[in-house]
Amino acid sequence: MKPYAVALVALLPCLAASLGDVDKAKTLGNPGAPVRIELFSDFQCPGCKAFHEMLLPVIIRDYVVPGKAYIFNHEFPLTMHPYSREAANLATAAATIGKYQQVADVLFLNQVSWGTSGKVWDTVASVLTPAEQKKVQALAKDPAILAQVQQDVEAGQAQRVPQTPTIVVSRGTKRYSFPGPDQGNYPLLRSLIDGLLK
Amino acid sequence: MAFSNKHLRWLALILRIALGGIFIYAAWAKLRDPWELYALAINSYEVLPLWAVELVARTLPWLELVVGVGLVSGIGLRIWSAATSLLLVVFFGLMVRAFAKGMQINCGCFGGTGDIISKWTLLRDGSMLAGSLLLTWMAFPRRSQPASHGNPVPDPNPAPDRIPV
Repeated sequence: MKPYAVALVALLPCLAASLGDVDKAKTLGNPGAPVRIELFSDFQCPGCKAFHEMLLPVIIRDYVVPGKAYIFNHEFPLTMHPYSREAANLATAAATIGKYQQVADVLFLNQVSWGTSGKVWDTVASVLTPAEQKKVQALAKDPAILAQVQQDVEAGQAQRVPQTPTIVVSRGTKRYSFPGPDQGNYPLLRSLIDGLLK
Repeated sequence: MAFSNKHLRWLALILRIALGGIFIYAAWAKLRDPWELYALAINSYEVLPLWAVELVARTLPWLELVVGVGLVSGIGLRIWSAATSLLLVVFFGLMVRAFAKGMQINCGCFGGTGDIISKWTLLRDGSMLAGSLLLTWMAFPRRSQPASHGNPVPDPNPAPDRIPV
């Protein structure tokens, strides 16, 4: 994931870090691309970890880098996971300083560890400078950030997201929900996106 | 309680209209979306290879539409009621298997955006299967019982070969 994210940052100047807006910071790729891929994900869900580490780089390679699609990350912390909401708040706070992808990468990489110990902050802090840590820690308690995460959850509920991860692909008025994307069903997702691109 | 032919006729009419309507709706729900979404639901049962999943996802909704229209029209009811029963046996069997394995998957009954398999979806499809089997039984002719001794006693109110549905 990391190399693709870095490549994208280098390729597309309109990305997260340069924009400073949470919505844009959670976007991968060019927002002018024809297809929008919304990802509803939970940092503590094992399927989301697998998706983030194995399938997301493939989607980025196939669709984001060529400019066919862009990805928007939505937080969808499930209540069954005790530390998901905290992780989502911290990642969203990190998005405001352009560190969303780095935080997401480290959270998924160490999911088992902080998922067991509850040391979410220690994991997040490991990819931030001391100055960034201060900012993110403060922002993670900011009502605007908490509202942003809640807004993501409500967006997922409005989409009737049945599980995490779920992808919603759209182009214009066409909008389709694709729950549980994985390597096994990727040909179907690819066919769906290709259909939208025609 | 004994049902008269009139009651059975009404029951059969209700069953075929209801089942036909459900099949037409299910077909429409699948055909209005890209086939990949229904394929995703089929794939989640983990019983078919991906090439077969695509084949089923592209063809089954059309078959459901034909069966549904056949049931509603009432023409060739034996064929359509038998086909409905066969399809529902397969669907119900797959759903029971998935439920028994604890799979939290979309049943795919009404396309990609359906209900997660639960006791409720099993009850719903089980009821449809029961209704379909009853309709099939009514649609096919039944042989009258031969008398055990001597000449058959004429029945003052003979049952027809089949319920005229």
